[in-house]
Amino acid sequence: MDEQILQTIIIGLSNGLIYALVALGYTLVYGIIELINFAHGDVFMLGSMLALTLLVAFGVTTGADILTTVGLISIVLLITMAATATLNVSIERVAYRPLRHAPRLAPLISAIGMSFVLQNVGLLWKGPANVGYPDVIPNINVLTTVFGFDTNVSLSYKQLFTAAVTIPLLIALTWFVSKTRQGKAMRATAQDPDTAGLMGVDVNRTIAITFIIAGMLAGAAGLVQILYNNTTVWNLGFRFGLNAFTSAVLGGIGNLQGAVLGGIVLGLINAFSDRYLSAQWTNAIVFGVLIAILVFRPTGLLGQQLADRA
Amino acid sequence: MTSIIDPIERGGSGGLSAWVGHLVDTVVSWPRAYRHAYRRAPRRTVLLTILVILILVYPLLNRFLLQPISRGFPLPIPDDTTVVFMLIFATMAVGLNIVIGFAGLLDLGYVAFYALGAYTAAYLASPHWSTLSIVLFTDLPAGFPGIHLPFFIIFWAAALVAATFGVLLGAPTLRLRGDYLAIVTLGFGEIVPIFFKNLVNVNFELGPIKLVNANITGGPLGINPIDAPSFFGIKFGVINGFAPVYLAMAVVLLCIVIARNLERSRMGRAWMAIREDEIAAEMMGVNTVRTKLLAFGLGASFAGFAGALQASYQGATTSDFFMFATSILVVIMIILGGIGNIWGVILGAIVVQYVDKTLLGWVGQRLNDFGEASGNTFLEQINPSSFSFLLLGLALVAMMRFRPEGFLPSRQRAAELHSAPPDQVIASPGVTDDVIGFEQPLEGGPGAAELAELDPDAVDPNANVGRAEPRSGAEPDAIDPRPEGDR
Repeated sequence: MDEQILQTIIIGLSNGLIYALVALGYTLVYGIIELINFAHGDVFMLGSMLALTLLVAFGVTTGADILTTVGLISIVLLITMAATATLNVSIERVAYRPLRHAPRLAPLISAIGMSFVLQNVGLLWKGPANVGYPDVIPNINVLTTVFGFDTNVSLSYKQLFTAAVTIPLLIALTWFVSKTRQGKAMRATAQDPDTAGLMGVDVNRTIAITFIIAGMLAGAAGLVQILYNNTTVWNLGFRFGLNAFTSAVLGGIGNLQGAVLGGIVLGLINAFSDRYLSAQWTNAIVFGVLIAILVFRPTGLLGQQLADRA
Repeated sequence: MTSIIDPIERGGSGGLSAWVGHLVDTVVSWPRAYRHAYRRAPRRTVLLTILVILILVYPLLNRFLLQPISRGFPLPIPDDTTVVFMLIFATMAVGLNIVIGFAGLLDLGYVAFYALGAYTAAYLASPHWSTLSIVLFTDLPAGFPGIHLPFFIIFWAAALVAATFGVLLGAPTLRLRGDYLAIVTLGFGEIVPIFFKNLVNVNFELGPIKLVNANITGGPLGINPIDAPSFFGIKFGVINGFAPVYLAMAVVLLCIVIARNLERSRMGRAWMAIREDEIAAEMMGVNTVRTKLLAFGLGASFAGFAGALQASYQGATTSDFFMFATSILVVIMIILGGIGNIWGVILGAIVVQYVDKTLLGWVGQRLNDFGEASGNTFLEQINPSSFSFLLLGLALVAMMRFRPEGFLPSRQRAAELHSAPPDQVIASPGVTDDVIGFEQPLEGGPGAAELAELDPDAVDPNANVGRAEPRSGAEPDAIDPRPEGDR
């Protein structure tokens, strides 16, 4: 295969995995309460800012030995996930739960309001410009240095790192939803909250747990964003969030595997558009894909599984 | 405010147009019929007349009294540009209210139509197409480069273009469910400015069409200079002081008249029927596709008006004006003001724009001065303008929770937003004998006492949908057995 194409695929896959993490948050929440959680992208943005702050505070740099770095990054990951989970569940409590029985568009508008609030918090926190963080994970080509291939294609430790964080989380989530008692409660609530309530499922608690999980994934994605793309900005959540939402729709909203597949496909679309067309058209292409999918195949590539609706 | 607005809402004697007629009669036959007219006039006519005079005098008052005063003694007085933009946003609010308020379609990409209107105006009244020279009905010399048409024409052309794109976007997407439609419109609202930003240096070849480095949209710099609107030799550009305020007022008045007539028309009743229950409306013979398309197209045309006004007034337009935040700003305006009520959304537009552009800056300046005087560095450096979206976002969340119908609601919409959905009713013990709460007022909905209080005139006798209030909380989803994707 052409090396350039291979390289584009690698870039697309690693970005796609981050999209997938955020897309899972959209799809989980949509699956369970049929709400497009506009604020989710901004929770991810605040997660990336918190991760950045913690990395600076802990003084995580390239120079330290590997064990210290891995340990510190794990601590940062846990703190960030806990913080974004708390934030997400508080948003649910304040802005969505009181509107559970309101007309459908009311929580959506409330979510947009929340999104604006969080964006402004990000703006006040880190200012209007991009804030960056230097490479912590060495940007070294694994293919040439470790495997000794003679190639121009680059697969860096950073890219392996996105996979190392993302894939275990995806597996854990799938296990949680399909195998645990709480996961069963989530699936039941997604199918029919009233009936699930009558069967003894605590609907409010289940929805809160869904928001906690979504928030944790957003936090993890925030840290990966900082360590992989090395930058964040107050309106990152809007752009990135729309990409992630498109991924969720692409795969079939409410469908966990679909969100991952959609994230990867969208990452590839983005990478190929950046490489072969022009970065300035990439957003237009993403939105074009979003509109085309919603118009022609609203159930997405894989259709619905978690919730039998939408 | 309510006492002035409500009588029109009741519309016993034909609403605004009748009132305008009444006002004209009063003015024309003033000397002879002075006492007669004054005694006969209902109180609301007097109040409305005072209000209208205040509005008409306001730009002069603002210019020649309030602004000079605020230079000596700081007051939060908006400058003329802010006033014009209040009215431009009021135009958009009235238009978006047709889409969201009347027809219940959440459009999050309304800014796209604003952009289309602005660029249409820019194309038709600027030297942008410098290889052409079409100069019609303007005071420019013949042979002047570019297309230069008078404001009266580009104003309608902008509306036509915006409406056309509204219909083009709506045709494939309006069958989508509410939140999906919201996302599709959001995507469209993002795509249009990207096109306007990027279509510069276009190289394109398709059959006989060949473009080499074609500058189609002016790129990030946009298009300027755009001719200022001009009527009878008077210019209405940004440098012409308070005169454009009257032009913008005329545009808003036009929009009010159109929107009110639409609201009371057969089409308006069909919109509200769709908003309340699409399936039921379809059963009653409403052509839902055509009705929704018309709402979309007509709503978009108002954004076209606003765009033409913005471009001509400011003399320049760039893609940066047309951000997602602007779409949401208009949504916030109509939700705060009172969704579904024309007067409410205009008030919302004016208040939000005023707070955002004038009041916050003024408050910030006062705090900074106070901080400087008292040596408090926090107050000295605080900048409330940077909180504006935080405040608006919080306002949106709070409104949805505590007063979803807005400050000046339309009655039908308020009843709708406060009634419980049907599944609630089935579950609540009091009304179990009544399957979906057919006759009985729903729990949380307008109670019997409240319904009895409703003035019979409050409901337009022609608007049958108004009588359906107790059932209006029903969501189509609740009774439609089809899978959602098929709708």
